[in-house]
Amino acid sequence: MNLRPLFSSFAAVLALVGILLMSGAPLLAADAAHGAAPAAAAHGSAAPADAHGHDHDAPTPTLIQSFGYSYLTAFLFCLSLSLGGLIFVIIHHLFDAGWSVPVLRLAEHMACLIRPVSIMLIPLLVLQRYIWPWLTVDPAADHALNVKRVLLNQYSFNILLVGIFLLWNYMAFSFRSYSLAQDKDGAAIWTFKARKMAAWGIYVYGFSITLVIILLMMSLQWQFFSTIYGVYYFAGSLWLTLATLYGITRYLMTRELAPVIFPRQIHDLGTWFFAFTVFYAYIGFSQYFLIWNAALPEETFWYVDRERGSWWEVGMLLLFGHFFIPFLALLRIDAKMSLFVMGPLIAWAWLMHYTDMTFNVMPVLWRTGLHVTLFDLICWLGLSAILAKVFWSDYLKYPKWAQKHPRLQEAITHHDIPADPIGAD
Amino acid sequence: MSATLTKPVGLLAQYETPADLLHAALEVRNAGYKKWDVYSPFPIHGMDAAMSIKNSKVGYFTFTGAFIGFFAGMIMIWYMNKFDYPIVIGGKPLFTPLFAFPVSYEMTILLGAFGTLFGMAFLNRLPKLYNPLFNVERFKRATDDKFFVYIEAIDPKYSAESTRALLEKTGASAIEVVED
Repeated sequence: MNLRPLFSSFAAVLALVGILLMSGAPLLAADAAHGAAPAAAAHGSAAPADAHGHDHDAPTPTLIQSFGYSYLTAFLFCLSLSLGGLIFVIIHHLFDAGWSVPVLRLAEHMACLIRPVSIMLIPLLVLQRYIWPWLTVDPAADHALNVKRVLLNQYSFNILLVGIFLLWNYMAFSFRSYSLAQDKDGAAIWTFKARKMAAWGIYVYGFSITLVIILLMMSLQWQFFSTIYGVYYFAGSLWLTLATLYGITRYLMTRELAPVIFPRQIHDLGTWFFAFTVFYAYIGFSQYFLIWNAALPEETFWYVDRERGSWWEVGMLLLFGHFFIPFLALLRIDAKMSLFVMGPLIAWAWLMHYTDMTFNVMPVLWRTGLHVTLFDLICWLGLSAILAKVFWSDYLKYPKWAQKHPRLQEAITHHDIPADPIGAD
Repeated sequence: MSATLTKPVGLLAQYETPADLLHAALEVRNAGYKKWDVYSPFPIHGMDAAMSIKNSKVGYFTFTGAFIGFFAGMIMIWYMNKFDYPIVIGGKPLFTPLFAFPVSYEMTILLGAFGTLFGMAFLNRLPKLYNPLFNVERFKRATDDKFFVYIEAIDPKYSAESTRALLEKTGASAIEVVED
């Protein structure tokens, strides 16, 4: 087993912890000098229960907060690509799938983007006290925080994040190293090893993605709780990943991957993308529907915040742009093969998932409506450019597909493409 | 049905393996026949392409049924809750698509399924209680271990001699005239 990636991730995390320890003291001092952190003031830590609807006079966010939130949004977007790749690989091994073998290597590279994403986590941990308001709220003065303090305290927050990111690195790089080892000797043992890891990995994945999303995204408004929140993020993540994977596969199918990619792979990726368009909407609707019906103030405030000002329009954009447009566009069987439909839809998926992340993160900071800053653009383009660079250099560095995977032949020879569409001859 | 069968309505050819049937289907397709079909105890991969069968039109029936179902559900709930018998429950509005959605969704599925089922039956001209193929004794094995091609006499390219010659060329193990 190739241990190098593991060591370098470990070194990255060590560096991260070091920075944390060094930066912790001055940050604390700065907070003490300014009194309560501005983000905490925006929420009214003294009376959280009734402050939600009445704080239009929230102070203007500082530059560092504005940057921190933009960075967090872009970070969650990038994390989606990596975790989407990881679950793609896990599902491939769990189902002993045949059709996805030619794109497996691409998914493994995407999963291994967790390493740059882990490094991107460092600035968030450094800036944590400017981003997560509850870190500067006294649990004794806040009932919601007090009852959640087992999870929502500085130690759990940092240890869990670092630990889970390490675990994801371990899983992603193990899957790829098994696959690369199989390229050399073609032994079946690597497939069995990967399958074993996928078997426990699916549980670890489910729990860890929920925990991380609770910590990174949901705890921005710590009074809120929704048990479906992790699944919601997961659904959007895999949706984005499938769109991206479709685009990459489509591009490479006429180039280096021509010997292994056939219309079947393209169609199956498109179908899966379609399925997750529906699954995302199903989860998003379920969350809204249950909260709307139960009408508990500690849950509804989250949506009330997101119906204020132009956030209402952003919500509508998600409803139509994230679901109805792709759903109706992809309904026909031949749409999944059409570059004319899928091409624009991939770019649209990127925009919609970023909008989704904005809709979840930004109303905490910009309470009166959508507020786009230059930070948003810089962070989003900058972080995704880094991922693209890493992905591409990985792609060039290793064999282009799983060379000796036992099911490669099956994937190449079984061409069950859909029948000609109606009207075409 | 004791009357004698006199009118020939087509030719039935029997094959021993799925591969033979697939190749025969290709030949018949390439010869330009339109009114013909194949019979097999199980689905054969690639047969749709070999017969040049386009994607089924049943999706349009499904979509129409689903569309009607969704809006029928919405209108039904609007009529009952907001118009016919309004009761305020839990301070909620009398009508919003939100709480009407699950029922409308179920109606979408239900009428979508009806559209699929009845659309399929309509496109396949079912139910059909009689088919001249039932007169052929050997055709019973189409549900067991034999494979058949049936070319109807109403096909414009059909002729008793040339069609038989074509089927012989494809390696049929038996060829029989179907009568009605």
